[in-house]
This record gives sequence, structure tokens and C-alpha cells, in this order.
Amino acid sequence: MSSNQPVVYDDAIVKKFLGATLLWGVVGMLVGVILALQLAWWPANGDIPYITFGRLRPLHTNAVIFAFAGNAVFTAIYWSMQRLLKVRMWSDGLSNFHFWGWQAIIVSAAVTLPLGLTQAKEYAELIWPIDIAIAVVWVAFAINFFGTIHIRKIKHLYVAIWFYMSFVLTVPILHIVNNLSVPATLTRSYPIYTGMTDALVQWWYGHNAVAFFLTTPFLGLMYYFLPKAAERPVYSYRLSIIHFWALVCLYIWAGPHHLLYSALPDWAQTAGMVFSVMLIAPSWGGMLNGLLTLRGAWDRVRQDPILKFYVVGVSFYGMSTFEGPMMSIRAVNGLAHYTNWVVGHVHSGALGWNGMMTFGMIYWLVPRLWGRKMAKESWVGLHFWLATVGIIFYIIAMWAAGVTEGLMLRAIDPDSGLLLYTNFLDVVHTLDPFYWMRFGGGLMFLTGILMMFVNVFLTVRGSGEPFSAPAAAVPAAK
Amino acid sequence: MADENIIMGHAEDNDGIEEYDNSLPDWWLALFFACIIWGGIYAVMYHGYQQTSQEKLYLAEVAAAEEQWGGAAEVDLAAVEITPELIAAGEPIFTQNCVACHAADLTGGVGPNLVDEEWIHGGEYADIVKTVTDGVPAKGMLTWGPILGDEKVRQVSAYVYSKSHQAN
Ligand code: HEC
Ligand code: HEM
Ligand code: HEM
Repeated sequence: MSSNQPVVYDDAIVKKFLGATLLWGVVGMLVGVILALQLAWWPANGDIPYITFGRLRPLHTNAVIFAFAGNAVFTAIYWSMQRLLKVRMWSDGLSNFHFWGWQAIIVSAAVTLPLGLTQAKEYAELIWPIDIAIAVVWVAFAINFFGTIHIRKIKHLYVAIWFYMSFVLTVPILHIVNNLSVPATLTRSYPIYTGMTDALVQWWYGHNAVAFFLTTPFLGLMYYFLPKAAERPVYSYRLSIIHFWALVCLYIWAGPHHLLYSALPDWAQTAGMVFSVMLIAPSWGGMLNGLLTLRGAWDRVRQDPILKFYVVGVSFYGMSTFEGPMMSIRAVNGLAHYTNWVVGHVHSGALGWNGMMTFGMIYWLVPRLWGRKMAKESWVGLHFWLATVGIIFYIIAMWAAGVTEGLMLRAIDPDSGLLLYTNFLDVVHTLDPFYWMRFGGGLMFLTGILMMFVNVFLTVRGSGEPFSAPAAAVPAAK
Repeated sequence: MADENIIMGHAEDNDGIEEYDNSLPDWWLALFFACIIWGGIYAVMYHGYQQTSQEKLYLAEVAAAEEQWGGAAEVDLAAVEITPELIAAGEPIFTQNCVACHAADLTGGVGPNLVDEEWIHGGEYADIVKTVTDGVPAKGMLTWGPILGDEKVRQVSAYVYSKSHQAN
């Protein structure tokens, strides 16, 4: 099917998104570390309203999800879809509009959130004019994405493209439906939903933001970059198709697991819970296909830090998609909800899966984009260990804190039948050591990404040995 | 089923990425079906067989707690004698739970001044006990009854009462 004319891929756009990923990654995680410090030691808010916890927290979540993880998957998409479809992006103009539009949205988020301008919906805090900008930029991206699929030179669509498609199609639907509101002023609006309906729509959105922003595009990333780096065939084609469809069909129903023991009707809570439990196997399908692809490459895993990032990333994916369904069970959620356990779960997915997969991709891409080996090759392995140990500190601290506070909040004095810990502040202070431990873990993770930032900067500026990609990138069969 | 590792032959189309035609691992399929079946059974048990609901479970828990701890004799508040012991017992409770909103000298902050002439909900001892027990949730005054228990509520109310009446 491929024509004889060589295709010139647009790699400039990939470089831009990669740079933005790094920059926002550093900013977002720096803010995360500041938040972690504030929770351990409140004077860290400096008594400055703009950087108090309530305003910085949404800045952190928006920066790491939409700026860091978002730019990372755009990097993956622009690099891999051109090569998988053997065609340049349909429109360079739209690619650049997408890039600059997206960065402008992030900058406006970074200005409005510290000013306290918010819709007060988690992960959908941005005020209505920015919401409209997101919709417009996304439509431009979607046109470019499907335009490229339309003019593709390869008929067969590799599984990575399927995962990307679910991302490109679902995110705007979630975004628009959840943000429907009536503007009152330039910065304020009222949602069209009220009460429980509003909560249900919000968590239908919230959970599927996890599913279609932090999961499916990263699975697409995995299906392209992992076998590339391992130079091994993907373990099972059949599994990839079945777990894809199972995942996208089941995920959409799982939102109510965020609203267990609320005013949401019982049947809807049950639906959210059972669909979440059913998600274990489809999620593990992705993990299996990742890990089993590395079968036969374990000797290389021991040496190649890129593969190490992938092994840990995929393992954390498996871990958090087991933990999540367990937390969706009514009785378990009764303990975990309103505690740091949820925060620990979030970051095992966010740091372990999204972070590690992104780092592996960047270290693989930079030499291929700039034609030079990493300026500080030894730092890559160091980054891996800092990140891994940092995550472990973070998660263990949050599990311990979550279970401790969950048990304290429900503890009852057997003699009087009254709550044992009536002063919430007592509970909070019990968690102090765990908050410090999480701060330490976060600091390690941040140090790692800073090292990567410097390393990439030096490489781009010209230090580092010349690199030429192995000509035959076709994996050895058997 | 053992993995046969048969190559699909998609590499040409996949930018060099090959895929094996391995079948789904048996244990994976078993896990998938087991979770689906479990989900069905759970839903039928919860809503059909047990006919339960969040509300029923809550009421059952309340009833059980009532059974175990309830039944304390009603205290006639008008007859409670406000002794120095009662007041002294109330002071640490106030310091621990109330100063954040009413200030250490009871002159108020988030919550109103408790040592001026004005009372929103009445300044007699019985009134204060009632306000503290039930709270004013809509205004940010907590419902202290289930948190502190009747005895501590009487103590802290005695403290508030003594402070306000000694000021006036
Ligand atoms: C979170 C803040 C907060 C805390 C903590 C708090 N209160 Fe209050 N309290 C309020 C507010 C607000 C009101 C006013 C309610 C209203 O306007 O109806 C109030 C009202 C009262 C009143 C009624 C005053 C009146 O004028 O009728 C009493 C008595 C009282 N509180 C006692 C207590 C005691 C005793 C404690 C500790 C066990 C306590 N409060 C803890 C916020 C608080
Ligand atoms: C250095 C790394 C990081 C640190 C130290 C950090 C720290 C924090 C802290 C302190 C909070 C607030 C928790 C609370 O309210 O109790 C938080 C929330 C959150 N962070 Fe991070 N974070 C980091 C990286 C990331 C990354 C990379 C992502 C996503 C890709 C992420 C996603 C989130 C989300 C979604 C929340 C909200 C959690 C919830 O509502 O339960 N974080 N983070
Ligand atoms: C099958 C997969 C998963 C299921 C069933 C699941 C389930 C859950 C549950 C039950 C909660 C707690 C809700 C609460 O009590 O408040 C939760 C929170 C969360 N999960 Fe997961 N999870 C899964 C995978 C993931 C992954 C892979 C990530 C990240 C990449 C993730 C990110 C989050 C976030 C950000 C929250 C916090 C939401 C909030 O702000 O309250 N989840 N998840």
C-alpha cells in the first residue's frame, strides 16, 4: 500500500509538544510538592491568598493532568500516528493551532485559578470562557486527527490508533456535557444541572477523565513505544482488541463509585460498583500485553532504563486498576472515602503509570528527534531510581495515613457509644509523619523530572554523542 | 492454552511493530467472567433477595446503637444545679472544641459573642444546652450532641452559662 515517495513527517510539532510536556511537568509537580509541604506544615502557604492550598490544588491537578499528561499524549500521537499511517499530519496549520491553543489554555488556567476564579467542579474548575476555548481547540485537533486517518497510506489501523481515537472522541463529549452552564458574568456561570444530577454528571465526567485522558491514550502510547523500545512483537493481537472494547464499554458506567453512600439512588451506586469490579480483567489485559511483550527481553530490561520505566509503569497500572475496583466496593469505600487512601490511589496511577510511561517515551524519543544520545546517559538510570523510590514513599505514606484516619474517624467508645476522636484536628495531627514522608517522596520524584529536564536541555543544545536509530526497527520474530 | 507465538504479519502496516496471534490467557478469561458473574449475583442479592437499601442499613445501625447505648434517663435541665465542679469540667471541653469559633474569652469570631446581652437562641441554661446539643448546622454551629454526649454538653454549657452570667 505504501507509495514510493518518501513521506516527510512533521517532527517539529512533536518537539514542541515534548518540550511543553517537560516544562509543565516540572511546574505541575513543583506545585504538588508545595501542596505536600503545606499539608505537613501549613505556614508554607506564606499567608498569601494566591498560593493557599485551596487555590494551588486545582492548579496542580490541571497542570499535571491537562498540561503534563495531555502534552505527553499529544507528543505520542503526533509522533506515532504519522509513522503508523505513513503520512504527514493532514494540516500543519491545525497542528500548530492545537499546540499554541492548548498552551494558551494552560496559561489562562495558571492565571485564573490562583485568582480564585473557579467553577468549583473537580477537574472542571476552569471558567466558562476557557471551557469554550478548550472545545474549539479540541475540535481543531479532532479534525486534524481524523483528517490524517482519512488520508492515511496504511489501511490497517494499529491498536494504538484505536486507543487514541477513543480519547479524541470521548474527551470533548465529557467536557461539553459536564460544563453546560448559563454564564452570568465573564467569570461566573451556573451549571444547568442541580443537586444530585449535577453530582452524577460531574463524576461521570470525573471518572471518565481518568479513563479517557489518563488511561486509554496512555495505553495507545504503550502499544506503540513499548514494543518499539523492546524490539519485541506485541504478545497478543486478540487480547488487544478484546480488552480495548471491554475497557471502553465498561468504563463509561463506573462513575458512581465516586458517590457511594451519597444521596444517589441505590441502584445507580450498585451499577457503578459492579461495573468497576468488572473492569479488573479488561484493565489487566493491557498490563498483560505490556508485560508479556517484554518476555524474552528481560536481559535487556536489566540494562536499559527505558524498559525499566515501562516495566514499573505497566506494573503500577495493574496495581492501581486492582486497587480502584476494590475501593469501589461499598464496604471498602466506606473506609477509604474522605481519606488519603484516595490520594494514594490517584498518585499510584498518576506517578506510576502516567509519569513513568511518559518518562520512558521521552528518553526514547529525544535521541531520535535530535539525533544525539542523551547528554548525561547515567542520569537516566538515576532518574528511574529516584522516581521509583519516590512513588513508593508517596504511596506507602498515603495508605498508612488513609487507613489510620479512616479508622480514627469511625472509632467509637464502647462504653458510651460516642465518637472516640471528636476533634478533627487530633486526627489531622496524627497524620503529620505521613504527610512529611509523602513530601519526601514527592521531592524525590520532582528531583527526577528536573534531572530529565536538564538532561534534555543539554542534549538539545548539542552535547551528547551522535545517535542514529537502528535501521531495521522491525522486531526479531521469535 | 500454550502460547504459540505465531506472527500475525502486520509489521509492514504497524511501522515495524509485529504482533503475535496468541489467544487470551485462560486465567484472564476466567477472571473476566468471574467478575461479571459476581457483579450479577451481588446486584440480585442486594436489591432482589435481601431487598436492602442504604436507608434500611442506616436505620438498622441506628436501632442497634439505640439498643446498646440508648435509654439514658431524661435529665430535667431546670433542676440541674450549676456547681463549680460542673463549670470546671466544662472549661477544657470549651478550650478544645469551641475557641476556634467563639474565642477563648467567648467574645466571638466565626460564631457569635457568648458573653454579651444578646442571645439568638436564648440564654437560659436549658436554652444553651439545647443549642449546643442540636447545633445550628445551617449557620455553621455544629450539632455537638452526638459528638460530645449529653454529659459533656451539660458541662460545657454550664461553663458558657457561668461566663455569660458572671459578665453581666
Ligand atoms: C465552626 C464554628 C463553631 C464552633 C466550633 C462552635 N460554634 Fe457555637 N456557634 C457558631 C455559630 C456560627 C453560631 C451562630 C448560630 C446562629 O447564628 O444561629 C453559634 C452559636 C452558638 C450558641 C448560641 C448563641 C446565641 O446567641 O444563641 C452557643 C451557646 C454556642 N454556639 C456554643 C458553642 C459551644 C459550647 C461550642 C463548643 C462545644 C461551640 N459553640 C462551637 C459556630 C461555632
Ligand atoms: C512530585 C509529584 C507530585 C506531588 C508531590 C503531588 C502532590 C499532591 C498533593 C499534596 C495533592 C493534594 C492531596 C490532598 O488534597 O490531600 C495532590 C492531588 C492530586 N494530584 Fe498530585 N502530586 C504530584 C504529581 C502528580 C501527577 C504527575 C499527577 C497526574 C498525572 C497528579 C494528580 C493529582 C490529582 C488528580 C490530585 C487530586 C486527588 C484527589 O482529589 O483525590 N499529581 N497531589
Ligand atoms: C479499573 C480502574 C479503576 C477503578 C475502578 C478506580 C476506582 C476509583 C475509586 C473507587 C476511587 C475513589 C472514589 C472516592 O471514594 O472518592 C477513585 C479515585 C480516583 N482515581 Fe481511580 N480507579 C481506577 C483506576 C485509576 C487510574 C489508572 C487512575 C490514574 C491514572 C485513577 C485516578 C483516580 C483519581 C484521580 C481519583 C480521585 C478522584 C477524586 O478527586 O476524588 N484511577 N478511583
